[in-house]
Amino acid sequence: MSRRPDRSEDAIRLPSHVAERAGLDRRRFLAAASGALGTLALAACDSMGPRSAKRILMLAESGNEKLERVLFHHSAMDVPRASAKAAGSHFPAYFVSDEVPVWDEAARGAWRLEVSGLVRKPLSLSLTDLAALPRMGYRLDHFCVEGWNAVATRTGVRLADIAKLAGMQPDARYVDFQSFDSDYHESWDIESALHPQTLIVYAQDGHYLNAAWGAPARVYSPVKLGYKNTKYLTKIVFLPERNGGYWSDRGYEWYGGV
Amino acid sequence: MKRHHAVVRITHWVNVIALTIMIGSGLRIFNAYPAFARRGETFCCYPFEHQPIPASLTFGGWLAGARNWHFAMMWVLGINGLVYLAFIYLHGEWRDLVPRRGIVRDAWEMVRFYLTVRKDHPRQGKHNALQRLAYFSMPLVGIMAVVTGIAIWKPVQLAPLTNLLGGYVWARYWHFWSMLLLVALTVGHIFMVFSVDPYSIPSMITGKYRPEWSPEARNARPFVHLLPTHHEPPAGS
Repeated sequence: MSRRPDRSEDAIRLPSHVAERAGLDRRRFLAAASGALGTLALAACDSMGPRSAKRILMLAESGNEKLERVLFHHSAMDVPRASAKAAGSHFPAYFVSDEVPVWDEAARGAWRLEVSGLVRKPLSLSLTDLAALPRMGYRLDHFCVEGWNAVATRTGVRLADIAKLAGMQPDARYVDFQSFDSDYHESWDIESALHPQTLIVYAQDGHYLNAAWGAPARVYSPVKLGYKNTKYLTKIVFLPERNGGYWSDRGYEWYGGV
Repeated sequence: MKRHHAVVRITHWVNVIALTIMIGSGLRIFNAYPAFARRGETFCCYPFEHQPIPASLTFGGWLAGARNWHFAMMWVLGINGLVYLAFIYLHGEWRDLVPRRGIVRDAWEMVRFYLTVRKDHPRQGKHNALQRLAYFSMPLVGIMAVVTGIAIWKPVQLAPLTNLLGGYVWARYWHFWSMLLLVALTVGHIFMVFSVDPYSIPSMITGKYRPEWSPEARNARPFVHLLPTHHEPPAGS
């Protein structure tokens, strides 16, 4: 077992020597400890961390995106828990303009959804046209980047059906969803866009969208975080390259997969 | 003979940095919605719904900054943890950590000693029974943090995992609890290091440790017999 100083032969010469050493050690420990705690407190003080770390963080993000794309499967479907209550009127409203964006028919004419870019047959769809296309309704989770989730029934048209209708070309690898909510838009990878639960939504919980929830139409898919799902939709553009996005350009992950 | 192998010492300090940043950025992410309830529901089991964590305890500056740090540092934490576990498994250090027969009784004896009910320090190997329990729990809670974290990162693509944990809301709650447990273990660890065995700090840096200054040799409990010279022989050991 371990030696006990007072019982060992060293007992006589140890005390002063040990006390000196111990004193030094204790001072050193205290200095080191307060230094370490100070560094941690400084680092943790709601700071964004060192600027030089930005490149490493971006590297990690692109690595994560590669992994997320490997994990992504069209067969992985969102099924909200049976016990989950629909958010109903508690579903948050969200837009970036100063006021609720409302399509001004008098100034801009009737609202239409334009489908363009790498397609053989560009489309211009009215709300009536959309409602006449094959209708899909899902009870879906909504995952917000902030951490909350909500359940709502979304009704609309699969983006895959619209892509087929417009004759999407094989070199379309990305889709940009643009809006009339100031300059809000978000571009997606084509795989997520063609997921069976990715819908161009015009009704929520059995009613046409109201202005707070993105009327007349929005994109919605449970495979993307809320901010990727552009509301107040005006244009769907199929692209060979990604085109960033409102929040993606401001520091949020571009991929934003769920 | 070093008390801790270099691999253990390095992974320990990498873990300190990674865990600090993971917890700070995690709390900043939590503050974007400091509650667990699904929208339109209430949550049974968290008394502080919608009360944010003080900003001074958070890291990342804003939600996107905190998320970028969290999703980068998770790799450091995960790989560092795997290196540590692989090393102690292959090198045999796990024997100092896994609970042995009678661990509960031994831990109870340590509690009695710390409460001064028992006068002499119970005999121990490298670690006492309470330390073994703490150091054995730490990786388990770490694994819990990683698994619950993956579940709330990919609740659709990895839905079976999220469902296993009770769905997104509960997985998020368990992720929060794994943080609380890690903080509790860490606070206890740091308190005991400084109040009972500060001489173990160099052993986690250089590897050097003087057995004659061990808590068992000093008969040390928190703030008692902190210096080797204050040693009194335990009665009848």
